[in-house]
Amino acid sequence: MRRGMVIDLKRCIGCYACQLSCKAEHGTPPGVFYARVLKKEEGQYPSVRQLFLPVLCNHCEEPPCVDACPTGASFKCEDGIVDIDPEKCVGCRACMMACPYSNRYYNDGPQHYFAQGATVYEQVRGARHQTDVVMKCNFCRDRVRAGRDPACVENCPTVARHFGDLDDPTSEVSRLIKERSGFPLHPEAGTKPSVYYLPP
Amino acid sequence: MQATRAKYDQLIQDLGRDLRPQREWGEGRGIFMVIGHFVVGVASGTWLFALLFDSRAGLALAFALAGLGGIAHLAYLGRPERFWKMVVHVRTSWISRGFVGLSLFLAGALLYLVPLFVPAAPWGTGSVAAGVGHAMAIVGMLVLMGYMGFVYTASKAIPFWNSPLHPALYIVYALRGGIAALLLTVALGARSSASVGELLLLWAGVTAVVIVFFLLEIHGAMTSGNAAARRSVHDLFAGRLAIYFYVGTLALGLIVPAWLMWAGLSDPLSLSAIAALALASALGDFFMKYSIIRAGVYLPVWTRLAPQR
Repeated sequence: MRRGMVIDLKRCIGCYACQLSCKAEHGTPPGVFYARVLKKEEGQYPSVRQLFLPVLCNHCEEPPCVDACPTGASFKCEDGIVDIDPEKCVGCRACMMACPYSNRYYNDGPQHYFAQGATVYEQVRGARHQTDVVMKCNFCRDRVRAGRDPACVENCPTVARHFGDLDDPTSEVSRLIKERSGFPLHPEAGTKPSVYYLPP
Repeated sequence: MQATRAKYDQLIQDLGRDLRPQREWGEGRGIFMVIGHFVVGVASGTWLFALLFDSRAGLALAFALAGLGGIAHLAYLGRPERFWKMVVHVRTSWISRGFVGLSLFLAGALLYLVPLFVPAAPWGTGSVAAGVGHAMAIVGMLVLMGYMGFVYTASKAIPFWNSPLHPALYIVYALRGGIAALLLTVALGARSSASVGELLLLWAGVTAVVIVFFLLEIHGAMTSGNAAARRSVHDLFAGRLAIYFYVGTLALGLIVPAWLMWAGLSDPLSLSAIAALALASALGDFFMKYSIIRAGVYLPVWTRLAPQR
């Protein structure tokens, strides 16, 4: 089994619901974004369009971050999800330099958003995160194990995100990639990402 | 609080850029990473030349520098108390290999040096323990010379570093640093089987190789067709790091020592001039590494395959 995600760029409207739902699900501190949306404008007036590219950890089949990690803190699960064990991370940030998708973050900033200090919500959600270690998306492993989709998939209002088994040729994600010529980012890096995009 | 706020604002600004500079290695506490790599490189080169030219002071200096390098590496880590876990992933991680190399070097050098400097030590210079230490230190030295370049080459996110020449460049930098350190010990009155003239000639030869490798690396980055690598070169020569490159690397690390060496061809150099040459050369190497590391720019996430009309 190889869990993967397909993001339909034709459906993405750049509403940031994925980014916000991820923040709410994981309670990540400021400066840590498991999911982000990149925005770009193209063309010249009057022929202009805005493009959105939602990005997250690509959970590569051959993850360079796992190879670069000196302690084995970055690891790959049997279902293809790449995760970090914060108890093993020494904070050397070699994985951040190895990730061609820049989707890893070092958590050394303040653990709350407001000058008054951590809100009750932040205290509860942030308590599970260690400081001075690297953090990243884990495809909401706990939710997935409970039979649910990742938070960003479940909360996308335009159903631009699909989650499933890339190894199963009959799965929705495999079908979409095949029918609509799905592509990964930076295939030349040889990392075999598990996140595919459908062209707009 | 203001500093962390500024750091957060910087990150948000960076995340919006196509070509985002890496700030983890080299900025803030990241400077310890650069210092660690620099000092450990010099230590390995110093050990090599101290062995070749029979310099006890050089061996002691190499050991002290490697120890300092280890401390600098620890100071950089977010969780230094877990440093011992870095031994685990030696099969694939160059940082792990470097950690093992440094540990081997420090342990081996200690075994080798103790009987050399302490006549009453429980084991002698010709003992098995000293011999094993000698072998361990040589293996560690070879790892230390090479691993740093491979750490950068393995960084797929930074195209400027992701060059096969990087390890070779770091090895010659280690050699140049080693000669500079040995020159310094000679200037301070330590004995060595090599004369100042021989060391200066060696320094000039290795410096020439450094220049050739550096130019080849720049040429490779410029012709790679990668926008991030080209931006790194721009930052190095005409951007945010130009001051470090021109003043630190070029003026201090090359012109000053070359001028001193030139002056030494007509009249023998004074010991203070030799020390100045060695220090300028070493500082130049530091600034070279500092500016190359800081010049790292992340591969842009948007690619040609990303949505285009």
